[in-house]
Amino acid sequence: MILSDLLDQPVREADGTPVGYVIDVRFVLDGPPVGPLATPRVHGVLVSPRTGSSFMGYERVDVRSPALLARWFAWRHRGTFLVHWQDVAAIDEDGVTLARDARRWAPGYERPAPA
Amino acid sequence: MKRLLGVALGVLTAIGGFLDIGDLVTNAVVGSRFGLSLAWVVVVGVVGICLFAQMSGRVAAVSGRATFEIIRERLGARAAGANLAASFAINILTLTAEVGGIALALQLASSVDPRLWMPVAALAVWLVLWRVKFSIMENVTGLLGLTLVVFAVALFQLGPDWGELAQQATTLAPSGTETWPSYWYYAIALFGAAMTPYEVFFFSSGAVEERWTAKDVGQSRINVLVGFPFGGVLSIAIAACAAVVFLPRAIEVSSLSQIVLPVALAGGKLALAVVIVGIVAATFGAALETSLSSGYTLAQFMGWSWGKFRRPAQAARFHLTMIVALLVGLSILMTSVDPVKVTEISVVFSAIALPLTYLPILVVANDPEYMGTHVNGRATNALALVYLVIIVAASAAAIPLMIATGAGA
Repeated sequence: MILSDLLDQPVREADGTPVGYVIDVRFVLDGPPVGPLATPRVHGVLVSPRTGSSFMGYERVDVRSPALLARWFAWRHRGTFLVHWQDVAAIDEDGVTLARDARRWAPGYERPAPA
Repeated sequence: MKRLLGVALGVLTAIGGFLDIGDLVTNAVVGSRFGLSLAWVVVVGVVGICLFAQMSGRVAAVSGRATFEIIRERLGARAAGANLAASFAINILTLTAEVGGIALALQLASSVDPRLWMPVAALAVWLVLWRVKFSIMENVTGLLGLTLVVFAVALFQLGPDWGELAQQATTLAPSGTETWPSYWYYAIALFGAAMTPYEVFFFSSGAVEERWTAKDVGQSRINVLVGFPFGGVLSIAIAACAAVVFLPRAIEVSSLSQIVLPVALAGGKLALAVVIVGIVAATFGAALETSLSSGYTLAQFMGWSWGKFRRPAQAARFHLTMIVALLVGLSILMTSVDPVKVTEISVVFSAIALPLTYLPILVVANDPEYMGTHVNGRATNALALVYLVIIVAASAAAIPLMIATGAGA
């Protein structure tokens, strides 16, 4: 599977109710090292109720400038939530189906402070 | 001392490299029809290009990523692909205008039909792209382009009524039989001529070509902040020359020979020779930059290896893209289309396409993950947001105004 199979796909709940679109996929780098980087692991998908366009990076809570743009993107993607990968039940041609008890997490994330 | 020379060279090439066929044609046409009443747009455009080039140069120097790598990363493949299609098409249009400009300038010098010069010009551009080192290419065309200073000299020799010119520059309204829609249409054209997107592709990719690092940000800031305003002064001098010679006689500039006429009137044959050298250098330099930009944008989007610092064999698709772009531009010119008309259209479309590249650069210039401590400051962001509004407004208004005025006719 490649990223384009996921991005912009419609997302449905287990009972078929549409909840939005995949606007981003979040990875964690915590696997064994391959070359200079750790192996990435899919952490979850970001689901926005409105559009298939991206957050332009403003989901990171410490990126706030220019203020007007940050607010605009936050407003455009209001209601966005994160679903952990284990809560994704199925991915087929019709889009992404969430598990019955899928939990919705807040989309923001704190970057670790630079070492 | 060496450092000082480096700064001087950078500033001089920025001045010489600022002007291209778009600036020459648009300023002369506007000067002949509206006098200096649109000179304020040049000021707005120069501040804008300083801001934009400085941001994209800083992003490239600090993150090592050029404009279209960032656009693809931020917008995703599909939106960035649409962005690329628009930017690439407009860049080819600009390239076409520049190659046509070289041919027209050579026609002035030789009386040989421009359609015979066009293939020669395109071949010469390709040879330079293929063989000549990036820094030599930049410095030679930039320094020779400085001869366009003759427009400013000519303005003094024409002995204009300075009070009258000042009066025009402070009357922000169309004069005589001109209408408000065409006034605003040409305002957008001038804005697009000063802020052409290729300058930004070229500036940011050039920063990678010349291996800038965060240390070079200061030098690039000086080049831009000193060089571009002087380029803007030359733009206004071109408009003023046209305003002095053509406006009182109600002659509308529509050819390159008319653009250089004020210089010939003021300085005779010698000045004419100098201005032709300047125009050839400026259009040739811009033809190189637009060809490179077509290679840069496509290769950066596709993830191909790119850059003149690589040998052609190591960046084959990048070089092939430039060859194809030159051939497409040449075929457009061979249809006998008037390069001056192509130029007039290309600057307006440049203004239309500007938000596509401006917004992603503004966003990334604020991203601490790329920029670390070199993110935009508050003052830069305040100005950048003002320009975001101006750029989006100009882009949105351009097509309606183009239809309403019949492309400024």
